[in-house]
Amino acid sequence: MASAVTVNIKMYRVGELGDCFLLRFTSGQEKSHVLIDCGSFSNSKASAERMKEIATDIKKQIGNNRLNVIAGTHQHNDHLSGFVHASSVFESMPPDQVWLSWLDNPDDKKAREIGKDYNNYLRSLRLISQELHRPGFASNEVKNKLDGLMGFHGFSPQELSKKARTESLPPAVPAQARDILQRIGKKKPAYLSPGEVFPLPGLFGEPVKVYVLGPPKNEELLYDKEPGKGESFDPKLAANSTTAQRMLNAMQKISNPGKPDNEEAPFPFYEPFRESGNFKQVWDSYYSKKEAWRTIDLDWLNQAEQLALWLDGFTNNSSLVLAFELVQSNKVLLFAADAQAGNWNSWREIKWKKKPKDFNWLSLMHNTVLYKAGHHGSHNSTLVEGLDNMTHEELVVMIPVDKSDPHITKKNGWKMPAANLYKELKKRSKNRVIRMDDGFSKVKAWNELKGKPSGNSLYWQFEIKG
Amino acid sequence: MATPKYRYLRGYTIDPGFSTRLDTMGVNESVYKIKWEELFPGPIGEYVEVIDFDPANDCFYEPVDLDAKEILAENGLSPSEGNAKFHQQFVYAVIMQTIENFEKALGRKIIWRSNLQWKDGRPDTAAEYVQKLRVYPHALMDANAFYAPDKVALLFGYFQAANRILGSNFPGGAVFTCLSPDIVAHETTHAILDSIFPRYLENTNPDVPAFHEAFADIVALLQRFSNAKLLEHQIEQTRGRLDEYNVMGELATQFGQALETGRGALRSAIGSIDKKSGKWKKNEPNPARYQHCYEAHDRGAILVATIFDAFMRLYNFRTQDLLRIATQGSGILPQGSIHPDLVKRLSAEAADIASHLLWICIRALDYCPPFDITFGTYLRALITADSDICPEDNNGYRIALIEAFRAWGIFPEKVNTLSVYSLRWSPPDLNAAEKKALKLMAGHIKEDVRKIGRMTDRAGIALEYKKVQAKLQRVLVNPAVNAAAEWRREGLNQQDWKNFLKKIGVVTDVKSFTIRHGKERTEFTVNPKLEVHSVRPAFRTGRGDEIIEQVIISLSQSHRIKSGEFKGAKFRGGCTIVLSIKNDLLEVDYIILKRFDSDQRLAAQISYQFGAASLQAMPVSGYDEPGNTHAVNFQQLHLH
Repeated sequence: MASAVTVNIKMYRVGELGDCFLLRFTSGQEKSHVLIDCGSFSNSKASAERMKEIATDIKKQIGNNRLNVIAGTHQHNDHLSGFVHASSVFESMPPDQVWLSWLDNPDDKKAREIGKDYNNYLRSLRLISQELHRPGFASNEVKNKLDGLMGFHGFSPQELSKKARTESLPPAVPAQARDILQRIGKKKPAYLSPGEVFPLPGLFGEPVKVYVLGPPKNEELLYDKEPGKGESFDPKLAANSTTAQRMLNAMQKISNPGKPDNEEAPFPFYEPFRESGNFKQVWDSYYSKKEAWRTIDLDWLNQAEQLALWLDGFTNNSSLVLAFELVQSNKVLLFAADAQAGNWNSWREIKWKKKPKDFNWLSLMHNTVLYKAGHHGSHNSTLVEGLDNMTHEELVVMIPVDKSDPHITKKNGWKMPAANLYKELKKRSKNRVIRMDDGFSKVKAWNELKGKPSGNSLYWQFEIKG
Repeated sequence: MATPKYRYLRGYTIDPGFSTRLDTMGVNESVYKIKWEELFPGPIGEYVEVIDFDPANDCFYEPVDLDAKEILAENGLSPSEGNAKFHQQFVYAVIMQTIENFEKALGRKIIWRSNLQWKDGRPDTAAEYVQKLRVYPHALMDANAFYAPDKVALLFGYFQAANRILGSNFPGGAVFTCLSPDIVAHETTHAILDSIFPRYLENTNPDVPAFHEAFADIVALLQRFSNAKLLEHQIEQTRGRLDEYNVMGELATQFGQALETGRGALRSAIGSIDKKSGKWKKNEPNPARYQHCYEAHDRGAILVATIFDAFMRLYNFRTQDLLRIATQGSGILPQGSIHPDLVKRLSAEAADIASHLLWICIRALDYCPPFDITFGTYLRALITADSDICPEDNNGYRIALIEAFRAWGIFPEKVNTLSVYSLRWSPPDLNAAEKKALKLMAGHIKEDVRKIGRMTDRAGIALEYKKVQAKLQRVLVNPAVNAAAEWRREGLNQQDWKNFLKKIGVVTDVKSFTIRHGKERTEFTVNPKLEVHSVRPAFRTGRGDEIIEQVIISLSQSHRIKSGEFKGAKFRGGCTIVLSIKNDLLEVDYIILKRFDSDQRLAAQISYQFGAASLQAMPVSGYDEPGNTHAVNFQQLHLH
């Protein structure tokens, strides 16, 4: 019989959108420390300083113990930036092992192919964002939305506008962070795939089990009866990457007419267009002042936002999702990173290794006592069916959101947490919600639990026994 | 010299992909027969202006002159993907065909949504008449096409097909959404539906965005059946079994195949390819889907499948005798091809059913409420529309529709039995005083309505609509000084008038609302203004060629919650009144009510927009809060 475990969860207050969670599992005399992500949205000086401060505190918390695991969930700035800005601190407390998802595995062919498409896509999108800063494409709405979304990938609007004409920007912070994570561990990194179940290292008698839920391995292709030549590994990614490339070419052609390396076969018509016909009525209509509200000069640029949102969703779906089960009590801590529907939906189909047949993802949901809300509580990173099954009496929710983040406060900003989701989270946890900005409210329902939340200017913490 | 009656224009029957398949090559070119009208190069006509500006390439493509001798003489340009002028001709042909179908069924002219400008955060009431729907065949470099209500325009995209071989797709080639008649008809239908019901863009229940999608698909699908050549070909191929795999029930095949994720047609009403087995599987009615499916396209697909199910039931029912005749009574066809005569007869039946269903589906719009549509309400409208055209259902349309809706689990609210009698909207239960009041109201607008009915100039009609709406508004809630005298003459008093208004769902006094949603409670009082949303005369022929003269009036009242938990929610109430003109007298046929003073309706809307359901139903984007009855966004909806 596994022994009882106490888990202390610290949610660091990064001061803007961002995730940084330190988990300390104690069983008898032994401790195991797991750090899940360390990042914040911007790479400003202040953000970098804050990350150093937090990393230093993490070191202090660990003290003479070992940092058993660092888990890097996905390549977004708000999850990984700290590993770059506070790299010296992390170098001085190397973890036993780093956990990344199978998508980060350089030895996995499928992961490499996806990575290639992903990087091309990101490159096109970055260059599109830079193009949007040119006066010719004065479509502020799209530009601003894209600037915001590119922030997740570690690019600031200043960078995107200043170097509008250059191809080369330094490798983005998330990519640098992954490089650091891949080499910092004492052991080689573990690249995790859904369905894996293993004991948490550092504790005797296996009192804590780790379940890997995401990111999914897209098995859909295996069912495809008509695979063509040149099959790519994630078809939708490849298709959107092509679309982004096409769009970029078109934009560059407009802003740089006659530049030789933009010469390519005309698309969509082979014949060059001729301005010789009778355009009178067409132009009278299109250029009529009274009808100016019907023109479409800039509308085609809107798809840049769709393309960026798609890539953002793709990256979120590449999140490493971990559930920690306290074996004695079956209680579960669910860290879903920023997983969106695609990731959540794949949990249903997971074939669990070394588990009885009737075990499935719902068993984990039913026993969840701590849910780290996905993507700062945004509308699309908590699957309703998942939430519906979080029925445990002791459910507590942690939301790493900061309402002072400029992306939330600005006009038409991001709705984080989404009002309706936030309400549901409060309802199901009986208001036992801990937010990164405001902490928690003193509701009676806390008395039902053994652990009590507390906090200081650096973090909020909470303890679970089971 | 008399002007010609029709203009004949060649075009694709299905979409360009089918021209490169041996089995369909022969049927993929059709001649569209379009009512003659004066055209400028574009084409620019009375209803549409095709403007071929391609912003991504920063150029205009030369506009086609359909009156040019060499084009006229050859029934238009021949179908070609590489010729932008043909693209212009083709969108024009499909759009005009769709408009004609609507005008025929509705019995009145299509008038596009007016130019809705916003002034100080409210719609400018001096909205301008928009004569022509604007059509941009190459507006986007994207696998997308949509109707933009704020531009009163259709935007079609083009894109590069995926680099994989699927179906008849040319890997890496250009695909044009404007060359798919399904996509063009679908988008045109969005524009027409929006011109009739601008408030079907308000997301007040999960059926609303789904309805827009479903209705557009239904029109695109049923229109295809009007092509006799294609229909005969497909009936021959399936040996008369239209519920087996065939192209009649598929939408946007080339588009679907060109997407990397594509597994055949974009949408299909009969069946689809099963992800796991890779085999085509027939759709089986599944009542659970309506309960659990909230995404607009998925939910809309349920309604499309339901209508198609009704079609199949009618087709099987009405061709049994033909099959018996052809098989000496056994009804079981022998192996091999079926007789060409049988093909012809089966096709004629299928075409007849499809055209009548299309007619009912469109006509039913006049029996729908002006906002907050549900599928169940639409069933009632369908039944009513058919009852009107054909009082005796000797062809089984009503029963087939009811059976199909039942099989797919769509049930109207507040109906005790699923019979024609109880599904059909009923004439209102008016007492003597209320009848007099109604007569009085109708008397005020009768002449105007008749006058509009005789007009042909669309701009003039639009102007008259406005006038008669304003007049009716005055008559109903803002009686002139001499109204009292008028009431007296009819033996009515003010209370009678109020009672009458109440009967037709108009709230005239201050009304208090209490919303309970979980533990929260919000209260507010309103004194809503009445808006006469539309007054539309319609002249149409029934199945027995009798002329039906009707007037359709929609009224609405609204309130936007300004503070508290449900801030931003907009609640509407109102009705559609259908009057018929018989023997020079106006009689009320139906009143379709969405009561403003219904706490229950309000609670349902709030629960949808703010409750748990909203988590599934409205994952539109990270920028929106729930509760706003913000517009259904076609551009986002049409991504896939």
